[in-house]
Amino acid sequence: MKCQMCGKNPATTYVKIIVNGELTEYALCGECAQKAGYGNFLYPFALDFNSLLGSFFGNPVPEMTDTVRCPGCGSSFGEIAQSGKVGCAECYNTFRDRMMPSIQRIHGNTKHFGKRPSSRALRVKPEAKLSVAPQEDTELSRKRKELREAVESQDFERAAVLRDEIKALEGGGKA
Amino acid sequence: MKKWYEKSGQEADVVISTRVRLARNLSDYPFPVKMTAEQREKVEQAVRDAVMRGNSSISNQFRFISLDDISQNEAVSLVERHLVSPEFISAPNGRGLLLTQDETVSVMINEEDHLRIQVMCEGLDLEGAYEMVDRVDALLNESLHFAFDEDLGYLTQCPTNLGTGMRASLMLHLPALQESGAMRRVASSLSKLGLVIRGIYGEGSEPVGAIYQLSNQVTLGLSEQSAIANLKSIAGQLIAQERAARAELVKTVETQDQIFRSIGILKSARVLSSDEFMRLISYVRMGVATELLTGISYDTINSLIVQVQPATMMLTKKMTTAERDALRASTVSQRLNVT
Repeated sequence: MKCQMCGKNPATTYVKIIVNGELTEYALCGECAQKAGYGNFLYPFALDFNSLLGSFFGNPVPEMTDTVRCPGCGSSFGEIAQSGKVGCAECYNTFRDRMMPSIQRIHGNTKHFGKRPSSRALRVKPEAKLSVAPQEDTELSRKRKELREAVESQDFERAAVLRDEIKALEGGGKA
Repeated sequence: MKKWYEKSGQEADVVISTRVRLARNLSDYPFPVKMTAEQREKVEQAVRDAVMRGNSSISNQFRFISLDDISQNEAVSLVERHLVSPEFISAPNGRGLLLTQDETVSVMINEEDHLRIQVMCEGLDLEGAYEMVDRVDALLNESLHFAFDEDLGYLTQCPTNLGTGMRASLMLHLPALQESGAMRRVASSLSKLGLVIRGIYGEGSEPVGAIYQLSNQVTLGLSEQSAIANLKSIAGQLIAQERAARAELVKTVETQDQIFRSIGILKSARVLSSDEFMRLISYVRMGVATELLTGISYDTINSLIVQVQPATMMLTKKMTTAERDALRASTVSQRLNVT
């Protein structure tokens, strides 16, 4: 299906909105979705997952080779990557290493900071957790840290500069 | 009891409303994408019990609406009143909504996550809305076990909500920034700061009525308070820019003409489409804000915008588009002519 806005690129983002009292679904390409304020994070996220899969299994990914399934809900990593939807809480343990780079890219962080449920809520925590996304002290991670600090101290001009630098570094690494 | 859209709050000339929502999932069930019909029912029951049987003063203010029991029209009206997402009503099976009488607090059950707890209020009040949603979250947490991970925070079906699971947004009226063509630039610089701005009544970069929604995007690694402070500070800059742009814009005779024409048409038209209404009320709102127009309050405008949305108009009676456009014109003219 082609994007309904530009009519050129294949549609990757589906946006549901109400137009004149009718529920309407628009199929947009990543670029147009971005322009309309919809794919800022989902778009690179979907790409990220695909490219990740590519680098893991070679492209295209045959469904057959994806033998690891989440014990909680039976999802494979391929299913999650394709739909962008995680099957259950346990998936985050099962596929943690493979999801971490995308999570880092979406949020710029990998460690929760903020509210916690009261003690009665179940904490999903693997018994013996494998090494999770080692925080290497690269230029990239330093810049990310600086960006966080800049945002927290509300120095947004500096933050914008840093964000651009990070983008350039990320882009450079991939090329 | 007045609903949020029947009132106006802080910075009402630019900020129409504030919304804060939390995504939560029960640890004992798979996320909605993997749930069976039976599990949906169980989750729905568990959440209903947690709200209705909680021994808190807010428990008895909620009523439950099952999406399976209401018409398409009633469902769309819920979206027009910003109580649920379009996504929520697109597949009603096993989905439900808990709603307070004043429509301030709503809990969507089995949307993208098991729970989406939402607080909506008029004007700019991020702290107030967060405090309220935090209380509802705590109430639910007394009897529900939420999926949580030490590193990833609250676990959500879509990884974009991991961490706090909190999305705070402001509905902003930005006619002058839109007119000046600054919105695209604003949108791209905001995305660099972990925020997103988009139109709410329609797709594309020029939403009808110049109403935009500004929200935080990053939920992991940033506390609720930091995310809110960040959003508030950026919103403050946007509000200042919009006011400055308005002050310049209304000096021009073209804009003044637009504003007075708009109020003239709204007061006397006999047929008014939804699009035309949104376009004109936007000028009127700017006219009120710049004091070119007097005697019209923001709450009149805010409530009119909700009241004359197509599906909301048809809550009491099914109508054709033509009948609706005629009723819209008379409703609008009555409300604006009383003053």
